Amino acid sequence: MIKIENLTAVVNDGSQTILNELSLEIPAGEVHAIMGPNGAGKSTLAYVLSGKDGYDVTGGSVQYLGQDLLAMKPEERAVAGLFLSFQYPLEIPGVPTMHFLRTAVNAQRKARGEDIIAAPEFLKKARKVASDLKVKPDMLRRPLNVGFSGGEKKRMEIFQMMMLEPKFIIMDETDSGLDVDALRIVADGVNALRNPERGMLIITHYQRLLDYIIPDRVHVLSAGKIAASGDADFAKKLEQEGYDEYAA
Amino acid sequence: MLPKLTFVEQELGASLPHRRMEAWKWTDVRARETVPKSGLTSAMTLDIDLPDGLSLRRADEPAKDHPMGKIARNFCGKAYMIDVPAGFQSAKPLKLNGLGQGHGRIFVKIGAGAKLEVWENHESTTPDFVNLEISFDLGEAAELTRTLIHTDHADTTRIITAYINAWGGAKIRQYALSFGAGIARLETNIAALGEGVSAEINGAYLLSGKRHTDMTSLIDLTGENAHIRQCVKGVVSDKARGVFQGKFHVRRPAQFTDAQMRHDALMLSDTSEIRAKPELEIYADDVACAHGNTLGALDESALFYMRTRGIAAPQARALLTQAFVAEAFEGMADNTEFTARIEAWLEQHA
Repeated sequence: MIKIENLTAVVNDGSQTILNELSLEIPAGEVHAIMGPNGAGKSTLAYVLSGKDGYDVTGGSVQYLGQDLLAMKPEERAVAGLFLSFQYPLEIPGVPTMHFLRTAVNAQRKARGEDIIAAPEFLKKARKVASDLKVKPDMLRRPLNVGFSGGEKKRMEIFQMMMLEPKFIIMDETDSGLDVDALRIVADGVNALRNPERGMLIITHYQRLLDYIIPDRVHVLSAGKIAASGDADFAKKLEQEGYDEYAA
Repeated sequence: MLPKLTFVEQELGASLPHRRMEAWKWTDVRARETVPKSGLTSAMTLDIDLPDGLSLRRADEPAKDHPMGKIARNFCGKAYMIDVPAGFQSAKPLKLNGLGQGHGRIFVKIGAGAKLEVWENHESTTPDFVNLEISFDLGEAAELTRTLIHTDHADTTRIITAYINAWGGAKIRQYALSFGAGIARLETNIAALGEGVSAEINGAYLLSGKRHTDMTSLIDLTGENAHIRQCVKGVVSDKARGVFQGKFHVRRPAQFTDAQMRHDALMLSDTSEIRAKPELEIYADDVACAHGNTLGALDESALFYMRTRGIAAPQARALLTQAFVAEAFEGMADNTEFTARIEAWLEQHA
C-alpha cells in the first residue's frame, strides 16, 4: 500500500538530517507501529508523509497506491486517502467543528468526482460517531479544538478520522494526553476501522497503546532509520529493555 | 502662508486634507488627486428610499468644522433634511443610494424613542470623487442602526464623514464593510451627550490591489454610564493599505464609562500595509476603558492542518479569513448580505 525506500530528509535550512535512508513497506490490511527514543525522527516521518513545509527530501521515494506521494500537495494526499492524526492538533478559531468537517469531507468528495454529502445525512453520521467516541454534542458546535483539553483534541482527531474514512492512517503519539478510559475509546474506534483494504502506521513512544491496538509489525526508529523490526511481542520487549541497544 | 494649491485644489477653491495634517497623515487626499474626477465640483444626485412616516426637505446649513466641510457646503447645493418623528418604527430601512459621485450633505433628526435603520450603499463603477457628510441627531432613547457597504472603482476617491450626536439612553449600532477605493476614508464622530448611551461601532475592510481604506473614529463621551464596543477587522493583500485610527475621549463627567476598542488586521501579502493608531484620552477617574490592536499573518500551521484534511490551500485561507472577519458582524440582526460579499471577495483574493 505504501512503500518507503531510502527516504532521506533534512530540515529546511539543511543543518540536520532527520531521516536517513529509511525504508519501510506497509501492505494493505496491516497495522505497523513505529517506536523509538525522542528525537529519532518519528514525528518527522509523519510530517514528511503528509507534506508539511519545513523539510527537504534529499533522497529516496515514497510510493502510495501506485502514486509518487512526495509529488503531491497535502490536500491531494488527503484526497487520495491519507490521514494524519496529529500529536498536537491545531486550534481553528472561528470555524465550528461541524462546519470544518463537512467542508473537509465535501472538499475530498468533490476532488474525487463524487457527490457531496447532504447536511442531514452528514449530521446523522456525525451524531452516531460522536456518541461512540463520547464526544459531547456541544464540542461539535464550538470552533475546532479551541479550548478543548488535550484528551478532547485527541478524541476529536479520531472523530475526524472516522468521518473522513481514510485508506491509510498515520497516528502520531495519539496516546499522549489520554487517560486509560479515553485510550480504550480511541482504540475501539481505530480497531473498528481495521479492514483488509486499510493500512495504518502508529507512532508511539510507549507500548501502552499497543495493548489496545495490536500491531502486525513493530519497528524501532533510531537515528532516522529502521534499526530493528519484530512482531507485536517485540513492543513489550522494547518497553522492558529500552532503546539503548538500538541507539546510533 | 498657505501652501500653493494643486490644480485640483484650484478647481475646488480650497485645499484638500494632506499628510502634514496629523489626522490625515496616512490618507493623503491632496497627493492622490492629480486629475479632476467626475463629481469633483458637482452635487450628489441622491436617491433616497424613504419609509412611510418620514419627511424630507432641503435647507441650507452652516458648514462643519472639518477639512471637507466647507467644500461639501460649497458644492452640494441645499442639504437633505430628514425628520424621523418621536416613537417612529418601521420594518423598512431608510435606504441611501446614488452615492456614486459628487458632494452631499444629509441631516437626519431622530425623535425620542424612535428606531431607525439606515442602509448606505457606497458604490461607484468609474473613477469618481465622492464627498459625503451625514449627520444624525438621536433624541432620548432613540435607536440608530447604520449599515454601510462600500464597493468602489479602484481609482475612486471617497470621503464619508459622519456625525452622530446621542442624547440620554440612545443606542447606536454601526456596521461598515469596505472593499476599498483608490483612497477612501470612513470617518465616524460620535458625541455621547446624555447618560447611558450605548454604541457598537464595528467594521471590516478587505482590500486588494492598491486599494486604500481608512476607518477613523472619534467617540467623545460626556454623559455617565456609556457603554461602547468597537471592533474593526482588516484584511489586506497585494499592495493594499488599511488605516485604523480610533479615539475614545472620556470627559470628566463621563463616569462609569465602559468602553473597549479592538482593531485586528490580517496581512495576506508581504507588500500590503497596515497603519493603526488607537488612542484613549481619559479625564474621568472611575471608568473601564481598554484598547487592543494586533496585526499578523494567517497561521501556517493551522493552514497545513486544514490541508491534511483535504481542504485546498485557497479554501483553507478563505475559511480562516472569513472566521476572522465574522466577529465584527456577529451582532447584526441579519448578516447574510455581508457574509455573501465577504465570501465572494475571498473567492477571488484568498
